[in-house]
Amino acid sequence: MKASKEFHRRARQAIADPHLQAALDRNATRRRSARITALASLPDPEAARRRAAAIRQHTIENLPRYLGEFAAKVEANGINVHHAANAREAVAITLELARQQGAQLIAKSKSMVTEEIGLNAALEAAGMRVVETDLGEYIVQLRGEHPTHIITPAVHLRREEVAQTFHEQLDVPYSTDVGTMTQTARSKLREVFLSAPIGISGVNFGVVESGTLCLVTNEGNGRLVTTLPQTHIAIMGVERLLPTLEDLALMLQLLPRSATGQQLTSYIKLINAPRQESDPDGPRQRHLILVDNGRLAMAQSPLAEALRCIRCGACLNACPVYQEVGGRTYGSAYQGPIGALVSPGLYGSQAYGHLSKASTLCGACTDACPVEIDFPKLLLRARGDYIREVRQPPHFTQGLKAYSWLMNSPARYRWGQRLAALAGGLLPRKNGWLRWLPPPLNSWTHSRHFPAFAKRPFRQRWGEGIAVTPAQQIQTQAPAAPQAEPQAAPLEKKGPVEQFSQALCELGGEVVLCSQDELATKVIQRLEQLEARQLLTWVAQSPLLQTVNARLREDGYKLLTPELDWESEERQPQIDALAEAHVGLTGAGAAIAESGTLVLPAGSGRSQLASLLPPIHLAILSTKDIYLTLEAWLREAGNHTLDESATVDLISGPSRTADIEMTLTVGVHGPGDVIVFCVED
Amino acid sequence: MNKTVQLFVTCLIDSLFPEVGEAVVEVLNRAGVTVEFPADQTCCGQPAFNAGYQDEARRMARHTIEVFEGIEGTVLIPSGSCAAMVKHGYLELFTDDPIWLPRAQALAKRCREFSQYLVDELSITQMGASYSGKLAYHPSCHLLRGLGVEEQPLKLLDAVEGAQTSQLEAECCGFGGLFAIDHHEVSAEMLARKIEAIEETEAEVVVSCDVSCLMHIEGGLRKRGSRVRCAHLAQILAGKEAGLR
Repeated sequence: MKASKEFHRRARQAIADPHLQAALDRNATRRRSARITALASLPDPEAARRRAAAIRQHTIENLPRYLGEFAAKVEANGINVHHAANAREAVAITLELARQQGAQLIAKSKSMVTEEIGLNAALEAAGMRVVETDLGEYIVQLRGEHPTHIITPAVHLRREEVAQTFHEQLDVPYSTDVGTMTQTARSKLREVFLSAPIGISGVNFGVVESGTLCLVTNEGNGRLVTTLPQTHIAIMGVERLLPTLEDLALMLQLLPRSATGQQLTSYIKLINAPRQESDPDGPRQRHLILVDNGRLAMAQSPLAEALRCIRCGACLNACPVYQEVGGRTYGSAYQGPIGALVSPGLYGSQAYGHLSKASTLCGACTDACPVEIDFPKLLLRARGDYIREVRQPPHFTQGLKAYSWLMNSPARYRWGQRLAALAGGLLPRKNGWLRWLPPPLNSWTHSRHFPAFAKRPFRQRWGEGIAVTPAQQIQTQAPAAPQAEPQAAPLEKKGPVEQFSQALCELGGEVVLCSQDELATKVIQRLEQLEARQLLTWVAQSPLLQTVNARLREDGYKLLTPELDWESEERQPQIDALAEAHVGLTGAGAAIAESGTLVLPAGSGRSQLASLLPPIHLAILSTKDIYLTLEAWLREAGNHTLDESATVDLISGPSRTADIEMTLTVGVHGPGDVIVFCVED
Repeated sequence: MNKTVQLFVTCLIDSLFPEVGEAVVEVLNRAGVTVEFPADQTCCGQPAFNAGYQDEARRMARHTIEVFEGIEGTVLIPSGSCAAMVKHGYLELFTDDPIWLPRAQALAKRCREFSQYLVDELSITQMGASYSGKLAYHPSCHLLRGLGVEEQPLKLLDAVEGAQTSQLEAECCGFGGLFAIDHHEVSAEMLARKIEAIEETEAEVVVSCDVSCLMHIEGGLRKRGSRVRCAHLAQILAGKEAGLR
């Protein structure tokens, strides 16, 4: 009951805060329409949701088996797997790993499960400095707050508040310009990325068949955290599994569309192994901590269906209650409709059962859910548990019991109707509506009148006979003739190159089409425009890149091919040198036409930093390597590529964020410009 | 046409808005349907189910099943919310009960919401009603999402002569049963948002297929001193004066 009172108190605060209300309205309006538009770009969104729901349901129903297979595969891939039964164990494992490394500084990318287990507080208590690197999380951490939305941690803050926080905490001049604030965060956090020996990230999906960890991000901090430090610790809830890479392709169609309305996020990272012998960068050690913390038990409970969740946050954006009360009111790492299921599901009714009552069961969440979680059904189950396990206010229980007693006998029911009509006669009324009800029902009449009970209820009128005015014309519609399928307008058939080019341009990237002969000249022209003389580049393997690199050297450009070694004393100067390059030049293993995505597999001579550290990324792509869809790439080349490479980066346009007042800004931690030289065969 | 329906009028209409029940009977009679009213009916149990009191809800559900299973014909429910309760809620309540589950399933199959029955079963959209003025249709959550009834009420309203009908966004009015009392501050905010949307349409009457939402909305409108009134779809189709009562 105390927790419930706290919810009410915070809800009142939220309602009384006009700035918060404006922020929540903005979030709801933009995200709802973005989701709908993005989903409509799928050929059959409803079928996709049904398939996704079935895959996740199947996974949850067979969770122990899949978890075993997944852990074995990940281990076989060379990643150290740790099992944590609860939050305490997960924290202890992380602490032990950090101590082994003698780490004082830890760079962290956004992860819900680490919020859940209270990781930051524990690491800080042990004397370590943990820095959140997602812009929204960073802001919230600087303010000593917690995220109030699964996807947009600082959704509750105004730009003025962020500006004040940056001014006070980071010693920069007060500026409310979102671009300036984003650059402040970029430069402050760059120092952290470059010096932290440990990076901690979450995991969006674990793929059982390949042992792949998939991270879905936009800013680029997730890539930095999993690339630069010598040790990467990934922490995931045990339920976030998918049986196959094909399943992953489907989820990647749904997750970004449902979350932010993007076709794909800027960065999708597929991690299969730690840095290989021949890789120029990447952490030598990767650890995966699989956190149960109540999930396996929940998978056996009536709330199991909620474990389908892929944490897109669409239910929060759709929820009219969240829109009024905001995330803080929920008092849990998980807010909104999904929070009202997962919180009691994992931590029990005593602490969180009351959240199930903070819903009108309107079902807007289910409509928005990419995995078709039946929220109203599950919220009612959670309410049932709550009523059974937690003592309710006596008037509430008494009232319900009395009403139930009346309704179970037609005679008592009729008697109750009469009594209520009589009692209503004693209360202040106007035109058949009561203006005041006694407590506790007065909480209705605070904002509404209540209809007085009818003196002659329907059943009485029925008994006395209901007069029916004679029928006027009633037209029975003939059953509609089956309509011919509307002929789809003949689609302008675009080639893969054109599709790729259009998709990337829509994301703010650029495509330069050229022949093999023109390539080097075009690259140099661009570098001259950019006034860049230093480049991070791949050690050339393809003839295309070889030609370009040779020309660049001839023309006096300084080419750096990163080769990071943590053990070496040279590391710091080396990193400083890398950080000076303004442009990164890479090849591309493949590209995906529909989403404008570059596929960059790690490997010998192929530095991940070249596409990540500099503010401008130039990539050379051969048109023969363009696949139409992500699914096609995963099917035809995915398994092979993942076998060969420790990690694969899927890059769709520039690094971006909308964490401050939902204002889109590019170039947060990754490049703000992505220019692809598309070479015709 | 010789159709007979068993009217499950719902406790709210019976006790608070008998005029809505009369309008339902009138429309059905005009459509050539014979209406019967099993006298022992009380409440479907949704308020208890909704509040988490499953044992109490089960008792009411059993009573309702017993009242209707002896008689043949469609069980007609002029409420999206109560119809969703009988169609889906009962199955959830008796999911582990080998005796009551089949009985609940049998009732669920027979049950139709008012607009659903007219349009889907009888293929009627033109009820010969007229209304001169602006209407705003509120798609109630349990009707729309619980039963998937979306077009039917609009088809019926489109055929009302002289009426200009606009559709409100499918957004909850903030009622939610005991939610309106337990979380009354939040509920009031949601209601205010709904009333704003209603005012934007400049409609004189808000129409819906659920008196529970309408009671909430009209209660709010009256509290504000607004002249806008609410009406169940049946009241418009029967040509009754606007206002729930």
